[in-house]
Amino acid sequence: MNSSSSQLEAFLARLYVDPEARANFKANPRAEAQKAGLSEDHCIALENVDWIGLEMAARSFAKKRRLKRRPNWFDAFRSRFTRLHFFRFGQK
Amino acid sequence: MEAQGAAAGAEGVAGVAVAKMMNTPQVRDVLRASALADRVGLGWRPDLAAGIFEHLDGIDLLEVIADDFFSAPRRQVRALKTLAAQVPVVLHGVSLGLASSSPVETKRLDQMARLMDQVRPEFWSEHLAFVRAGGFEIGHLAAPPRSTASVDATASNLHRAQAAVGAMPLVENIATLIDPPASTLSESAWLNGILCSSNCGLLLDLHNVLANGLNHGYDPLEFVRQIPPDRISAIHIAGGKFVSAPDGSQRLLDDHFHDVPDPVFDLLEETAARATGPLTVILERDGDYPSMDSLLAQIAQARRALAKGRDRHRDRRAQLIEAVA
Repeated sequence: MNSSSSQLEAFLARLYVDPEARANFKANPRAEAQKAGLSEDHCIALENVDWIGLEMAARSFAKKRRLKRRPNWFDAFRSRFTRLHFFRFGQK
Repeated sequence: MEAQGAAAGAEGVAGVAVAKMMNTPQVRDVLRASALADRVGLGWRPDLAAGIFEHLDGIDLLEVIADDFFSAPRRQVRALKTLAAQVPVVLHGVSLGLASSSPVETKRLDQMARLMDQVRPEFWSEHLAFVRAGGFEIGHLAAPPRSTASVDATASNLHRAQAAVGAMPLVENIATLIDPPASTLSESAWLNGILCSSNCGLLLDLHNVLANGLNHGYDPLEFVRQIPPDRISAIHIAGGKFVSAPDGSQRLLDDHFHDVPDPVFDLLEETAARATGPLTVILERDGDYPSMDSLLAQIAQARRALAKGRDRHRDRRAQLIEAVA
């Protein structure tokens, strides 16, 4: 296992799932990359990251996670009972 | 002369006997199964189940998402086994993270091995992606930085997978909205490096090739031509949509919610013109399901693209033979 590559993947994974980490990184890419202990080459690469792609990928991943989320008891209750006519009373 | 005639007669009788034997339904089935024929199938989704069962004669095989059955109740796995007994089935993984620089989790490999043992599919496949790192679950397929380090890590994961599951998976190229930072290799060089170092086959996703080509500025057709043709075993076709970027530009999202666009069929024809072995093509659809007629029409269009590509392959071969002779 290449620890430098693992650190970079962990850093990217955090950027994809954590909007706050993404905002901090966008404000100061080099400092955030250095703080994560990334190599100089990786820090330089991240300064020149595909910013638009990063934002779009993060949004797409967030949507996928929402779709995968298992419904909790409230979602289950709501989906079951909104089907009943009683709860749709007054709707056309 | 008489002896020769008797021998010829015996040969004739034997020939007729062999021909009769070869004409039994059982032998015909075996021959059909072993023929090097291209096939076109569909991704199994519960929403499509009724339509699939109604039109099984037009669908050569089904691709099932393996991860949906890792924690499924026994009755669902039994139902999958019953399905696999009726139709050729292949298993497709989505969460192993084979292209991660960390080793694939043993628990996930064991789940895949168990399902493979229960279902006995024709083959299994997984994506060249990382899906988690540093304790963060990304929730979908992320493209790793393309480097020699990630080629080596992926090859190592593939060998672990082969040892645990008992068969090497076909590996699938993924679509990515972001050009992975710190990449030192082109996508085709990276993919070829993995194919070479792990000796595995490729599940070439043509819509992913189209999306990455359009989003990251390379020619999808040229990409297909850079892949070793003898490694392409299976193909995914799907559709997507353009989404607006914050700067007003557009990128193609591989969402599987739309019909297969014509450029994907063009890429399929090109792939069929180059591939040396039989191809298994799977139409993927994950939502906004159209009518079954529409899906069958796309399957038929895939068959036509395959046939056109194979004709080109034969013509080129004939030209070469003629030139050499």
